[in-house]
Amino acid sequence: MSIRDIIRRSGRSIKSAKGRTILTALAIAVGTFALTLTLAASNGATAFVNKIIKDNFDPSELFVAADESLFGQGNTTKPREYDPSFGTSTTNAGASRQIKRITQEDIDKIKKVDGVESVREQIAVSARYITREGEKKYVATVAAYNPAQKPEFLAGNVNDFEGKKIILPEGYLQDLGFDSAQDAIGKNVEIVVPKTLTAEELRAQLLKGTLPTNADQLAQATDNNSEAIQFNIAAVSKKPITSQPGTELYIYTPGDEAKALNDITTQGTANYQKYNFVLVKVAGGTDDNKLKATQQKLKDLGFQVRSVEETQEFLTNIIGVLQGIVAGFGFIAIIASVFGIINTMYISVLQRTREIGLMKALGMRKRDIGRLFRFEAGWIGFLGGAIGSLAAIVLGSLLNPWITKQLDLGAGNNLLIFKPIQVAGLVLALIIISVLAGWLPSRKAAKLDPIEALRTE
Amino acid sequence: MVIMIKVDNVTKTYGKGENLFTALYKVSLEIPTASTNAIVGKSGSGKSTLMHIMSGLDHPSSGEVIIDGKALGEFKPKQMDAFRAEEMSFIFQAFFIEANQTCYQNVMLPLEIARVPKRDRAKKVKAALTAVGLEDKIDSLANNLSGGQKQRLAIARAIVNKPKIIFADEPTGNLDSATGEMIIKLLFDLNKKLKCTLVVVTHDPEIAEHCKNKIEMKDGEIISTTGIKHKRLGK
Ligand SMILES: Nc1ncnc2c1ncn2[C@@H]1O[C@H](COP(=O)(O)OP(=O)(O)O)[C@@H](O)[C@H]1O
Ligand SMILES: [Mg+2]
Repeated sequence: MSIRDIIRRSGRSIKSAKGRTILTALAIAVGTFALTLTLAASNGATAFVNKIIKDNFDPSELFVAADESLFGQGNTTKPREYDPSFGTSTTNAGASRQIKRITQEDIDKIKKVDGVESVREQIAVSARYITREGEKKYVATVAAYNPAQKPEFLAGNVNDFEGKKIILPEGYLQDLGFDSAQDAIGKNVEIVVPKTLTAEELRAQLLKGTLPTNADQLAQATDNNSEAIQFNIAAVSKKPITSQPGTELYIYTPGDEAKALNDITTQGTANYQKYNFVLVKVAGGTDDNKLKATQQKLKDLGFQVRSVEETQEFLTNIIGVLQGIVAGFGFIAIIASVFGIINTMYISVLQRTREIGLMKALGMRKRDIGRLFRFEAGWIGFLGGAIGSLAAIVLGSLLNPWITKQLDLGAGNNLLIFKPIQVAGLVLALIIISVLAGWLPSRKAAKLDPIEALRTE
Repeated sequence: MVIMIKVDNVTKTYGKGENLFTALYKVSLEIPTASTNAIVGKSGSGKSTLMHIMSGLDHPSSGEVIIDGKALGEFKPKQMDAFRAEEMSFIFQAFFIEANQTCYQNVMLPLEIARVPKRDRAKKVKAALTAVGLEDKIDSLANNLSGGQKQRLAIARAIVNKPKIIFADEPTGNLDSATGEMIIKLLFDLNKKLKCTLVVVTHDPEIAEHCKNKIEMKDGEIISTTGIKHKRLGK
């Protein structure tokens, strides 16, 4: 019998045992449903991460740090030797931690490395507050604007973004008393940053006799020392969809201004002109080989270096682990349904003993009889796969707009992305698994003795 | 006279030692081409066993079967299957048709097994169904046929690939006598038309009368024949 005829005949026996077939196929469909949705969610999450990365980072830049713990590496349970160049950094738990930072000397060293085009410091200054005449004070973080970022503007632009200018996030508009985004453009705001009292300032106050003598008051005076700077609003940015989490309300200013603010707040401290990260742009860095070569040279100098791609991989890996868990459950469901297929196929062989005997008597080969039942199992796998993936696609397509709204992903971003090639691959894999599950029952059919099978008594 | 089936000194035993049972004992027989033959005898006399061995479905414990000049014992399983698919066919007491398939699909089975080219199939199926008078039932489900029609369908399936030999094991056993007679008449008509060799196993003496040759069995041995010769060897 030709393969085609066998497939057709096995399809027909599936049809004649509808109830049994559907039930077995449904078991497979459950697993397929979970797997299809997992794959789709994985696609969506990966696409979303890629978009975040693309919208926030320049792939030809390398993150460079002096401290390995900044990339989540290194042993945090072992004390480290003190180094006077250590600055402090605040951890999530709120405790100050000493870490090694990139110094101006380091930056000069990095600039000399072959392939390095430019170096910019990653700066985010915690201002005391931002305010405007007649308005309340609001906490704010001022960060260096990175041209690789592509914020959407509600008003204004960054065509001439130099000097004391800022990009104000949409979220501040109302609180700072603006009627609209357009209203804010060209207006001034006051940003107040903390400032350490320098030795000269302390001496001046001492000479004037204004220096508090009480220890508490002295501490307060040093703590509250601030500097207020006027900034002009060049643009208002839309609430970002794909910003790094935690940076949604960052106020961006040109790199030099951010650096100047940073210098004010850190002057006289161990953190002065030291940076957690610098971003190193590699000449022709879109070429992976050039990027890797420079990365290696920086590593050889003792720096911690991570490319955008590696950061992306790190994020996608986390997603991958979560997806893996859900996929594992889907896989277990499919493994369980394999036993269903084996059982169903044994019943099918038993029910069709006579038919098998007749086909053998008529000269059908053992191999073809075996195939007949393996293909029947394959049909069940196909049905289960088709039902499960179709249900997942229909449900996913219906839910996508709702999920997008709930998770605030922004129009045009879907959490569930179905790829035809993946779905086809999954269904194909199910057919193969089912055919394998049909192996033992099909062997039983092939080995059947036709005389026994055709005995009438 | 050309010989189609030659059974040479065939013995068939089942079991071992104490349980040894001789179903056929030193049976020798020559069946001429295009003849009609009845194997008669009481239930348990070994008729079906002989038929199974003649058709290569079963292997003799000793002796050999030669069909159309070819010794079945020398065939590999694959060759035996191909030989059965092309040269012979079967009709059973219980019809063994697929109830939830159409007449067309039922009759198609031997053509698919014998790998008959697709373009020739429909024509052959129609011809076979016409020969048994079921041409208007071609797309009906086999389940909806009466008993006699079911056996006619089985006959259509048996003749569709123009076999050289048709083996029929109690073909009228499940039918009333009027329908049975009709089926027998149909079988003999087809035998004349198609010039195939017909071997009918039956315990109905009336059917046997219609056949040119008669082989009577008892306890695994041939006790008498009419029309053809046989060698009887005592136990
Ligand atoms: N597989 C077997 N094992 C043991 N005995 C068998 C087997 N097949 C048939 N027999 C015995 O062989 C004898 C002949 O059987 P069979 O050829 O079917 O008789 P008939 O067709 O004439 O009624 C019977 O007694 C039967 O019980
Ligand atoms: Mg019998």
